[in-house]
Amino acid sequence: MSTSNPIEFRGVRKAFHFFTLDDLSLDLEPGQILGFVGPNGAGKSTTIRLALGLLTPDAGEIRVLGHRMPEAQAIAKRDIGYVSSEMRLFQNATLAWHLRFIASIYPGWDEAYAATLLKRFNLRAEQTVKGLSSGEQMKAVLMLALARRPKLLVLDEPTSNFDPVARHEVLNEFTDVLRDEDRSILFSSHNTLDVERISDRIAFIDRGQLIDSRDKEDFLERWRRIQLQVPPGTALPEVPHVVDRVTDGQFVTLTTNQFSGDLLARLGGTVREVHRMSLEEIFVANVMHHREARGQ
Amino acid sequence: MNPLTRKLIAREFYMHRWLIGISMIAGLAGLALVARGGNMNFNVGFLVWLTTIVAFGAVIAMFGIATERKERVMHWVLSLPVAHGDYVRIKVAALLACFILPWFLLSAAAIGLILLQAHLPDGLLPVTVLLCAFMLANYTFVVCSALHANSEGLMTMVIIVHNTVITLFMFGVMAIDGIRTHLHDPAAAWNSAFWTVLAVELAVFLVLSSLPFFVAARRRDFT
Repeated sequence: MSTSNPIEFRGVRKAFHFFTLDDLSLDLEPGQILGFVGPNGAGKSTTIRLALGLLTPDAGEIRVLGHRMPEAQAIAKRDIGYVSSEMRLFQNATLAWHLRFIASIYPGWDEAYAATLLKRFNLRAEQTVKGLSSGEQMKAVLMLALARRPKLLVLDEPTSNFDPVARHEVLNEFTDVLRDEDRSILFSSHNTLDVERISDRIAFIDRGQLIDSRDKEDFLERWRRIQLQVPPGTALPEVPHVVDRVTDGQFVTLTTNQFSGDLLARLGGTVREVHRMSLEEIFVANVMHHREARGQ
Repeated sequence: MNPLTRKLIAREFYMHRWLIGISMIAGLAGLALVARGGNMNFNVGFLVWLTTIVAFGAVIAMFGIATERKERVMHWVLSLPVAHGDYVRIKVAALLACFILPWFLLSAAAIGLILLQAHLPDGLLPVTVLLCAFMLANYTFVVCSALHANSEGLMTMVIIVHNTVITLFMFGVMAIDGIRTHLHDPAAAWNSAFWTVLAVELAVFLVLSSLPFFVAARRRDFT
């Protein structure tokens, strides 16, 4: 196994009573933002907890920043900024106390950047955490992670508590962080708009299985919805790579995951419209196609 | 001990600083009442002293472990460069240190009071020492349980047991002839009954305070 990638999963399996993450192989490359997308209960948080060493895999191998997990989690976490929507700070302590605490632990703590983030996120250092709204608490957690200047940021649904303005501010911050080309982000979310905005690679997970993983542009270029008009009594030509077909009278809508000029040529003059799909549409079509293929 | 461990232990003291201070003041106030003499003052003062130590133990174990887990502060702590086994070890060490400070002060003050006050017979010393040792063992029971129990219901049961078992202990100890018959003696009776009970208490303390190192700290999954 190469040790060059910040996150490497090889054939990882983790079974619970009612859920199994199965045969997961995943890579996050240096400087990459990997959007990890899946419905609720798909296995996103389980994957992230495995990456952090909080869960032990039943099979397979996990390396994070070159360290074998969970054995070397304490060393690996020196360079990881982990933020989860479930995370909370000490309720009775002030933000200033948290800043001092984290600054004393991490040698790479960037005081000036922390001050900038505090201002940008409109947080007050002297305020106790219990006085902050859930969105502000999440911003505080993010600030404490970002100002460590970690090599790897692992974000589990970080924007789920945010209003649209806060979401915009935070996503901008993530892209700023990536100006340092050695820094990588694993960004888990079921909000495809957020993922589409900042990720350069996307992995879809559903019911414990990785169903697709490729560059964002690749997804957006390959997937199309094609509307055809088929006169009565005319058979639709057989074309490959069609993952979904909906017929409504003379109109047929095909969804393909391998769009090309050749495909259009094979469909002939019956094509009425070619629709570029959003990441959300691609995600839903992809998940439904794989569930169908697996007979679920 | 590495610097992060030291900081996390110091953090525990910081978080409980008010409780530690208040419990020491309340416990000493109870003893001051005992020092004034009279049955009523003795009974009320003793009850304040006892309740303070027992309640303090229950509260810091609940806040330090169960609430931290329930409010998901633990998720944040585990994002720091500590393994979950270290987290358990730090918790045991930090919460024991937080408890032992006021427990030791209030126990020593109670023993000192018996030695210095003429109206309190020295025969009370063995039962006071046993009671103090019991409170320490009882506290490790809550800490140990909180580190292993994941359900809120189970934790409530643990707190009920922790708060009521002290009464059972008092009844039990007072049923031992070697202890009961010497309560009002002018000199303390450090007899075999005393040493046996103390040995059992210390054994319970050692087992319960080390159990998390072998069970909770070795868990494969931390959720």
